[in-house]
Amino acid sequence: MQIRTLLSPWTDRAGRFSFLKTTVFVLVLLPALYYAVKLGQNDLGPLPYKEALHRIGDWTVRFLVVTLALTPLQRILMWPKLAVIRRMLGVTAFTYALIHFSLYVVNEKLDLVFVATEIVKRVYLTIGFTALIGLSLLAATSTDAALRKLGRNWKRLHMIVYGIAVLALLHYFMQSKIDVSQATLWSGFFLLLMIYRLAVKWRLALTPLTLAGCAVAAGLATALIEFAWYGIATGVDPVRVLKANLAFAYGLRPAWIVLIVGLIAALLPWIKPVYAAATTRLSPARNAATR
Amino acid sequence: MLIKRRYGWEIPEHKVTPEALFLNRRTVLSGLAGAALTGIAGPARAEGDPSQGLYPAPVNPAYKDAGRAVTDEKYNTNYNNFYEFGTSKGIAAEAENLKIRPWEIAVDGEVDKPFVIGIDDLLKKVTLEERVYRHRCVEAWSMVVPWTGFPLKKLVELASPTADAKYVRFETFNNPEMASGQQPGLFGTMPWPYVEGLTMAEAMHDLTFVVTGAYGKPVAKSMGAPIRIHMPWKYGFKSIKSIIKVSFVKERPIGFWEQLQSSEYGFWANVNPQVPHPRWSQASEQVLGTGERIDTQLYNGYGEFVASLYQGLENEKLYM
Ligand code: HEM
Repeated sequence: MQIRTLLSPWTDRAGRFSFLKTTVFVLVLLPALYYAVKLGQNDLGPLPYKEALHRIGDWTVRFLVVTLALTPLQRILMWPKLAVIRRMLGVTAFTYALIHFSLYVVNEKLDLVFVATEIVKRVYLTIGFTALIGLSLLAATSTDAALRKLGRNWKRLHMIVYGIAVLALLHYFMQSKIDVSQATLWSGFFLLLMIYRLAVKWRLALTPLTLAGCAVAAGLATALIEFAWYGIATGVDPVRVLKANLAFAYGLRPAWIVLIVGLIAALLPWIKPVYAAATTRLSPARNAATR
Repeated sequence: MLIKRRYGWEIPEHKVTPEALFLNRRTVLSGLAGAALTGIAGPARAEGDPSQGLYPAPVNPAYKDAGRAVTDEKYNTNYNNFYEFGTSKGIAAEAENLKIRPWEIAVDGEVDKPFVIGIDDLLKKVTLEERVYRHRCVEAWSMVVPWTGFPLKKLVELASPTADAKYVRFETFNNPEMASGQQPGLFGTMPWPYVEGLTMAEAMHDLTFVVTGAYGKPVAKSMGAPIRIHMPWKYGFKSIKSIIKVSFVKERPIGFWEQLQSSEYGFWANVNPQVPHPRWSQASEQVLGTGERIDTQLYNGYGEFVASLYQGLENEKLYM
């Protein structure tokens, strides 16, 4: 059983074929395959390993944040079945982090002594490495056996994923040169998810209105992070950064994207009943079985 | 800084031929079809480079070999830090919007007589030569480029600065209509225009090169056409691109990157493998397109020529 759930990315816990799980499995492989092929073809510019390291780093953060989005989505959509892909996504985030780290080592010509000293000397690498250690702990304890053995402590241990995400985002900001747009955007999504958690903690029902409120709060917080980063870490006038949020003709700034994604998520509780009604009508038996 | 400084000669050109710019953008976007369009469209053709015939220039034998293979042109022209056109390295297509004619350079400050000179008039006053230089980026990568140009010393002589001139300050264009990175939005908040500076002693040094060409032709837009600087013993950000103004000043200029992050980028920025960037080691460098990583040398290996410039300046942050 435990072997099967680990080895078979296309079946659910009961051993039945899961379309959702299979689709997600194929999707998470694609970015890695894409960069592997590009590396093989030497088609990533003059510093191919460095380029791959950056792009896989981007995907690591994306998978990490998407993993954290599953629980809130499950609640918002009242779709418990989403849980079947959570472990896979978490393990994916870890795997990408490991590939990212390996690419760094390869890019440094496998000089492990140098790599170790750099990790100690450069704060953003120390932070990234701590996040990687954290993710390996979680990956190592993601088997059914570990889950059983750790019991209630399993949940406690796996709470560190939020700290890991913070470290990963900090690493993202710190390695950026003057353009922190992507780091800001993904921090914004992370904040949105944390605000959902707060809402749940305060026992607010996740109605479209509550969710829209969360979206607005996350959007504002995103703008604030960007403002603070430029104000503290750079010589750019942060007030002008704040104002740049209003220059719509030149692209949407991260704060707006977070707001828009949050507002779309706020519509989900309305869409869900329509969708559910439709599927029930189509195949009532199957729907009942999955509930 | 939101107020864009316009120079007298700048206004008419953009007002008169916005189509040229437009057509040029289209050229980039539509590839071959656009290229065909350029063939028939008058304004776009006016953008051709009249200095083409000056290249290739004779090689200066003293700089004919940089001790490493010349980097493949396709890498140099497609891996650039040119934030005026975006923050990624792949700005080559966007940089095609750079309008390189008419192009005028203002020379002012502590000089006998300030003047403005068109690039093609300037090219008539100098003798072009080719020099192969090593280039070391602060981001720990390097390349080898056959530049064409003339020593900055020559331009200083033309400018005839007064005894009050202590530094040379260079300025790149600030033109949001042409450069997407300068438009409102996040990058409009950067302290444009790009500014860099050096001491008079550095400016007069024979290695300090004004670049107008590379690889035996006019320098590519992505590399800072039509006129830029190259100082091979300093980190790349010191070598400013697409210059429109050269000022002789009393005060030490504050460069673009120094304004942005003074804890990481300073005035001197001489290459030194022993002094790490706050976020990474400078001990070695990756050579573009070769897969190699080699040890970085003090002053990028030009120490025997330039070290004397810094005698008595030991208290300065010479390597940042
Ligand atoms: C959970 C762990 C990690 C995550 C999520 C992560 C994520 C990222 C991201 C998103 C970037 C920026 C990519 C871009 O957009 O350009 C990045 C850059 C980078 N990361 Fe990581 N990283 C992690 C761990 C590590 C580790 C362990 C190392 C090495 C010890 C490392 C080394 C680097 C390096 C060298 C860069 C590029 C810095 C530069 O070019 O200046 N990362 N990482």
